[in-house]
Amino acid sequence: MTTAPRPNPLLSDRDVDFQLYEVLDATSLCALPAFAEHSRDTFTLLLDSTRRFAREVLYPTYRDMDAQPPSFRDGRVHVHPLMRELYPRLVELGLLTATRPPDVGGQQLPLTVHAVSTAYLMAANLNVYAWLGLTLGAAHLLEVFGTPEVKATFMEPMYRGEWTGTMALTEPQAGSSLADVRTRATPAPDGSWRIQGSKIFISGADQDFSENVVHLTLARIEGAEGGTRGISLFAVPSRRPEGGTLVDNDVRVAGVIHKIGWKGIPSLALNYGESGDCHGWLVGPPGRGLACMFQMMNEARIMVGMNGVATATVAYHEAVAYARERPQGRPTGVRDATRPQTPIIEHADVRRMLLRQKAIVEGGLSLLLAASYQADLAGHGQDEATRQRAGLLVDLLTPVAKSFPAERGFEANALAVQVHGGYGYSSEYLPEAWLRDQKLNSIHEGTTGIQGLDLLGRKVVAGGGAALQSFAEEVGTTVARARAAGVTPEWGEALEQALAETTTVVTELGARGMSGEVELMLRHSADFLELFSVLAVAWRWLAQAAAAKEALGRGAPDADFYEGKLAAAQYWFAVELPRVPLLARLCRTGEDSYARMRPEWF
Amino acid sequence: MKILVTAKRVEDPESKIKVKPDGSGIVQEGLKYKINPFDEIGVEEGLRLVAKHQGEVVVVSIGGKEVQEQLRHALAMGAHRAVWVNHTGPVDQLGIAALLQKVVEKEQPDLVILGKQSIDDDQNQVGQYLAEFLGWGQATFASKVESMESEQEKNKVPAIVLTADKKSVQVIREVDNGLATVECQLPAVVTTDLRLNQPRYASLPGIMKAKSKPIEELTPAKLSVDVTPAIQVLKMSSPPARKAGIKVADVPALVEKLHNEAKVV
Ligand SMILES: Cc1cc2nc3c(=O)[nH]c(=O)nc-3n(C[C@H](O)[C@H](O)[C@H](O)COP(=O)(O)OP(=O)(O)OC[C@H]3O[C@@H](n4cnc5c(N)ncnc54)[C@H](O)[C@@H]3O)c2cc1C
Ligand SMILES: Cc1cc2nc3c(=O)[nH]c(=O)nc-3n(C[C@H](O)[C@H](O)[C@H](O)COP(=O)(O)OP(=O)(O)OC[C@H]3O[C@@H](n4cnc5c(N)ncnc54)[C@H](O)[C@@H]3O)c2cc1C
Repeated sequence: MTTAPRPNPLLSDRDVDFQLYEVLDATSLCALPAFAEHSRDTFTLLLDSTRRFAREVLYPTYRDMDAQPPSFRDGRVHVHPLMRELYPRLVELGLLTATRPPDVGGQQLPLTVHAVSTAYLMAANLNVYAWLGLTLGAAHLLEVFGTPEVKATFMEPMYRGEWTGTMALTEPQAGSSLADVRTRATPAPDGSWRIQGSKIFISGADQDFSENVVHLTLARIEGAEGGTRGISLFAVPSRRPEGGTLVDNDVRVAGVIHKIGWKGIPSLALNYGESGDCHGWLVGPPGRGLACMFQMMNEARIMVGMNGVATATVAYHEAVAYARERPQGRPTGVRDATRPQTPIIEHADVRRMLLRQKAIVEGGLSLLLAASYQADLAGHGQDEATRQRAGLLVDLLTPVAKSFPAERGFEANALAVQVHGGYGYSSEYLPEAWLRDQKLNSIHEGTTGIQGLDLLGRKVVAGGGAALQSFAEEVGTTVARARAAGVTPEWGEALEQALAETTTVVTELGARGMSGEVELMLRHSADFLELFSVLAVAWRWLAQAAAAKEALGRGAPDADFYEGKLAAAQYWFAVELPRVPLLARLCRTGEDSYARMRPEWF
Repeated sequence: MKILVTAKRVEDPESKIKVKPDGSGIVQEGLKYKINPFDEIGVEEGLRLVAKHQGEVVVVSIGGKEVQEQLRHALAMGAHRAVWVNHTGPVDQLGIAALLQKVVEKEQPDLVILGKQSIDDDQNQVGQYLAEFLGWGQATFASKVESMESEQEKNKVPAIVLTADKKSVQVIREVDNGLATVECQLPAVVTTDLRLNQPRYASLPGIMKAKSKPIEELTPAKLSVDVTPAIQVLKMSSPPARKAGIKVADVPALVEKLHNEAKVV
């Protein structure tokens, strides 16, 4: 065991309270019938348990898990020995079924509160939380689409924490392009299916801390059409129940992928049905496998976004603490070498790096919570119109909520290394490990490139522009709130202006798409994703500035906290939002440096 | 086995605590509160004891409406029901012990577990007063020999051991020069030290169940206790800021200063 790291708050509790109750009104969700059993008290007690568990139990195990990845011996994966103790304890907190209804043993907790609770756990040690996140996703799929038999056999043990789950989509030739999945399923006389094929990169696909793993596997039914419509979803356990015991189900680990982050959870190559004896159970209608998966995609992507925030926030807090303690240099203009050195936080450039991290971390958290809040309304809002509108908003915000924390979180993580100077580059300190972890978030659950295509090609034009219209209304409400609170009016105006520019871009590109110029429409999809991210986060920073001003106006204590919020908002409006016109111009003009560049010119 | 455990509301030491400019108390706005950590250990020990021997854990807190938060916390950990003594004015340790005495007489527990002190005033008095008022045996500073990582701890085995005839408890206490084991006839009062156990984290199912667990409301008047404090708080102030130290030239100079100025050697 390495020595315990110095304490790190992971997330600021003050900020979490601010985001939940001052920026958003999370308790208003308790007025909805679905969440009627909850109140601020239940939220507080749960957050209290998860943050303490994260700090006291998970965080001290992070370094060791990063340093000791699972090993592959005798065809089996052996994970860090601590997992045997940590997984049951994590399950005990009740987070597997927290957001699920009582009929599957859940407590119907709003996703908004669940998401922020899990942020503490992921910030503390994502290697441990990942097992729970995967299991929760797999079990939830079965809950929604499984037959009663499949639920009893596979979902229940996962929700009880006895088995774990995976999402088995990727194949060597089918990464971003899931339409190319080749794993095959043939019907068996007993009503189940025989599965044959190979998967790669499957996280958590084998372990030795619980008795079984259930792989939610995409496969093509023998004779089904090509493309996405031919793909079905199957529950394929590593060990199948037979005659009252568990027998081997012919799912083999073909290899362990060595990787730069998320080292505590193995990513594996799997072979199904090498001996022709791999049984699978169909989940959802045949040919609807991807559609079922996509129905869960928003939640999964919001969790990836939250992981991006979590991985950036822990590094940010480490950097702030380091900068307060590290003496180096003297204030600008002081030449007297006999004067003691000042802590580096006194240098304006170090504060630039810290403020940028704060703006990304807290802006990202605010975005994730706003998206989760809409997801709660989409699922449980009081009437159909509310649910539909919220649903469109979640769809629109999801690619941004997934990719912004991944891309800009990586920048924040790099800044945390930078603040640590040479020590940040050394593995004696933790920031380098978080930097490695963060990179995954822009790759799995749809690469950033795929998120850009999704946003521009589908989401902003959805419902004939209804999604964008609803987003504009949300922005309008925030601008009005900020004005009433006495926030610098220029910020609200700049936001409205950027929104108008974005709408113009969308209208023009949409028209291009309609007239068949699809390449031209999507050429700058990644730039458009960045534009929309900067815009959406500006919206969240304006909301935070408004809440901060309101608090200062009523003479709330802790003025330092609110002043910090206003400075970070100022940073966003001064440094980030002005990039919108440039990005908008690239999208509108179809500037052709990438398009013109030929592969042979590289 | 019926166990009564206290659950005092205290300021969370993580929040910034400031003394009011007029010295009449601390600035309460914006502060966070929590259950006294020593009491939380008491709740945990109570839960372990009833898990082993059956029975019930009743938690009690004295204060305004807000102490219900700490009672809920204890109920969410698994305590069975709660008693809230509704009192908002000033009260001192003797008053608290007198109120608890009445609650004990009403509840008739086999064991009362209190924190050895609370982290706000650090008085370390209530348990002892209570035992005296009740005329019961007391074992203060209950601790234990296993490490926090031991199997015992992981399996949540109680450290307070009930004797075979169930008429007394054996308690390991932390004393200046090590550990002492005492046996106390039941009913008894035990106060907890930090090394007694590692309290569990309330689970979401536990939190939801706690909502329907009863909290009985009592008042000093109902318990016929006069809580007029015997001790008055005249003024509060922050400890004076530490002055910068000085460098001494060598060891003899240090010894000289320690001897003549500090008068410690
Ligand atoms: C650590 C780790 C864990 C993982 N866990 C799982 C898991 O549990 N289950 C699972 O099923 N998968 C998992 N994956 C796989 C992951 O989802 C894929 O790596 C991801 O979808 C990208 O696919 P690929 O690696 O084949 O890259 P490719 O699809 O080959 O992409 C390479 C590059 O090309 C770009 N690109 C590809 N297609 C297009 C296009 N049409 N337009 C524009 N750009 C394009 C991409 O954006 C990317 O930058 C994991 C991966 C890793 C690294
Ligand atoms: C792999 C590696 C190889 C190296 N090789 C060599 C070598 O061969 N020879 C050698 O001599 N050194 C070497 N170094 C040391 C390297 O040059 C130092 O790490 C570097 O100069 C930064 O110093 P520091 O690490 O003490 O960081 P610090 O100086 O403590 O800086 C920490 C942070 O504070 C900021 N900061 C510090 N002072 C100021 C200021 N006055 N104003 C504004 N911001 C400030 C910095 O920009 C940085 O972000 C190596 C370092 C590494 C990691």
